[in-house]
Amino acid sequence: MLRASAVVERAGVPTASLVCEGFRGQAATTATGLGLPGLPTALVPGHVDVQTVDELRRNLAAVTVDAVIRNLTEAPARVGGDVVEPAPADIVFEGNLDEVNRFFYENDWSDGLPIVPPTPERVAEFLRWSDRPGETELGVLLPDQRRATVWNVAVNGVMAGCRPEYMPILVALVEAMADPRYGVEHSGNTPGAETLIILNGPLIKELGFNYEQGALRDGIQANTTIGRFWRLYLRNVAGFLHHRTDKGTFGNTWRVVLAENEDALRRIGWTTIAEDQGVPGGNAVTISRYTGGGVIASVFGNTPDQMLPYLADSMLRKVGWELMFTVGMGVGSQRPLLLLSPILAETLAKSGLDKAALQQRLFELCRIPAWQFERYIGDWTNLVPGRPTLASLVKAGLIPPVFAESEDPERLVPIVCRAEDLMVAVSGDPLRTNAYAFAHNGILGYPTTKPIRLPAEWSRLLREARGR
Amino acid sequence: MLLPAGQRASGEWIDDTLRARVEEKGLLARTPLAGEFPRQRVEVIRGADPTAEVNRLYRLRGWTDGLPIVPPTLGRLDEMLAQGPLDRRAVLGEVEPLGGVASVEKIAANAVMAGCLPEHFPVVLAAVQAILDPEFNLRGVQTTDENVAPLLVVNGPAARRLGINASWGALGPGWTANATIGRAVRLVMNNVGGGWPGAVSFAGLGQPARYSLCLAEREGDTPWPSLHVELGYRPEQSTVTVLRAETVINVTGGLDELASVIGSAASLFGILHSGKPTVILSPFTARRLAGDGWTRADVRRELYTRGRLPAETWRRSWIHATVRATDWPDWARAAAESGFIPAVREPDDLTLIVAGADLPIPQHAYCPSWGHPPCRVTREVVLPPAVRGTMTGP
Repeated sequence: MLRASAVVERAGVPTASLVCEGFRGQAATTATGLGLPGLPTALVPGHVDVQTVDELRRNLAAVTVDAVIRNLTEAPARVGGDVVEPAPADIVFEGNLDEVNRFFYENDWSDGLPIVPPTPERVAEFLRWSDRPGETELGVLLPDQRRATVWNVAVNGVMAGCRPEYMPILVALVEAMADPRYGVEHSGNTPGAETLIILNGPLIKELGFNYEQGALRDGIQANTTIGRFWRLYLRNVAGFLHHRTDKGTFGNTWRVVLAENEDALRRIGWTTIAEDQGVPGGNAVTISRYTGGGVIASVFGNTPDQMLPYLADSMLRKVGWELMFTVGMGVGSQRPLLLLSPILAETLAKSGLDKAALQQRLFELCRIPAWQFERYIGDWTNLVPGRPTLASLVKAGLIPPVFAESEDPERLVPIVCRAEDLMVAVSGDPLRTNAYAFAHNGILGYPTTKPIRLPAEWSRLLREARGR
Repeated sequence: MLLPAGQRASGEWIDDTLRARVEEKGLLARTPLAGEFPRQRVEVIRGADPTAEVNRLYRLRGWTDGLPIVPPTLGRLDEMLAQGPLDRRAVLGEVEPLGGVASVEKIAANAVMAGCLPEHFPVVLAAVQAILDPEFNLRGVQTTDENVAPLLVVNGPAARRLGINASWGALGPGWTANATIGRAVRLVMNNVGGGWPGAVSFAGLGQPARYSLCLAEREGDTPWPSLHVELGYRPEQSTVTVLRAETVINVTGGLDELASVIGSAASLFGILHSGKPTVILSPFTARRLAGDGWTRADVRRELYTRGRLPAETWRRSWIHATVRATDWPDWARAAAESGFIPAVREPDDLTLIVAGADLPIPQHAYCPSWGHPPCRVTREVVLPPAVRGTMTGP
């Protein structure tokens, strides 16, 4: 909301942004990141969702109305200016490993695990793995409005414990982070969803990513450290910090990189996630933000008819309030992910299902009664304003007709707008019949894919690195 | 070392503003390193004698009152924070005039520097909360050409528990709590608020009370309720009451002498702003008056009635010639018609406390007030649970 206010203020129109009590700190830091540190806000005591209409009315009359009037009638305080930060190549500290770690941690530059000190030598080594100079700008990231550069990618890659040869992946990740379709600025929202990075291409094998047993578990350097890099970069460059810009109520730790089992995919003729995303042929990263997920253990059966009802039911169970992204905020941006172990994918493929056919079957099976859908987005959460019925949204042309094929509240409606919105990836223990379902954060972390550009000297560099 | 300097909500350090002011005013000789420090939360300072190096750097960056400071190491900071009731990230407000964010952590760093013991920290926090109350007008206090300083009066068990002196030499040297609590508030004003003398703060002469002006009230010598009980707190609560003191004038004698000093040109600024001056009454006199059946209110009324400025003195005064006639409050102008002007609008505007040694040579003090609006701000001191309500010190 502050982002909207900032646009309006810049156009010369006074604004008042209503901010619930618990969000004042985030409002101040976000406004600063938007370049308008004096952006007027009006306090709403407590949180509106748990107040009765009378309580809310009293609070608004006692506190908020005055502030709104002042917001709209007084010139905003003139504050702000450039915040001085160390230059890229500045030596900010000299000391031993323990001292460096303490220093970085105390200055909010670390996640609490030991970091590898980003010395000039280590950063220079990372930079060798990119054909673009360190000062190359990859984008500007909210909330801190800091420039993402090849240099600061290298610095955070060093800190995260990455190897230099991961550098092309890190750069591609930050390009994806900076892509407006992804929406990095939402990364501090209260549901506290976490990004999953999906890797495709020959790099999976060249750099030793795990794509088999324990694919989502830490313990393999490539998968683990790049996952950590993601969160360090959100902290140090985008500027998401606990108790300030990050309002995740609970949050969870970063996820390790998910590498697809492309051997299995090729055997059954299924497309990769990157190909589904329209980035075919070669190395690519896909980022997408998931509110949660869980394992689907012991999928029993050897035909789609036996297997799919269980898989679809599990996907349904992961989705609730997130349905707001299907029909409310960012219509059609809900993109759940089903992760299949290779043996499950192969069993389904054996019956003649390609990925599109699988998605279509799941689309038909992942359905709930309309009244239940409406309860998630309306009565229980108030997340879609005005408590519209699905039928009224269809009538207004806002969502596809599939949500109102009849007036019957018991009719079954899908959880996404289109079959292809259900994403399917393949990885994990090749011979175990388990799957994993992720619920998605919609427009607040939309699946975004970027090709990975390798340096011209990639093969030589990699040979050198392996020889060390 | 935690950096004690003020950072605005927008992330800027107030020292950048201060550097510009210092250069403008030709004051760089005092703080040649103003604004020159790493823009981080913490900094590591090493050397053969790190404490000396911290002192040298902080002095040259403008972060001291001229006296040596205790380096705000993270260990000392944690000890300080452990004694306060608030989370280190909690923010009490923005410190005028430059608007540094008064986070609990920042205040603790300045308290360490001031030499506070960790157990003093709850009083420092309460005092900072008080000076951030709009009624205190911190912007005015920091920038005026007058010499006003915050006067901190501590009441309740905390005063005894922490050894805040209310007796012999309570306003003099030798008492760690009195010296360092007041000093911590001054360092917050200097470092987080940016009240650098000559650059932002334009007090013409200043006064020693700008290093520290902090004492406890003597409770229990008389049947009178103590200040905080008069203000509506319970005796077992602890409070700090913050007043604006233009200076501290010693008065030896009785109510006659006090009335004579109160009814003098010392009260002119207080009259102009309907201020709330403070009288520190000797315990000897307080006990005698109480024995004669006087209440505190009686004493205030007596001083209100007898401590009057001749209208002629007022008319001939520099202030009278300087400000517009309409700047004076109605009550003062009306009183002038009768020939004498009371020092306060009404008796309750006089803050009366009892402190000092119980000497038969009774020593009192009159602290005239300065500025808008009339100010007497009280905040509860929240002691850690283990010592809350403890009536005897270690």
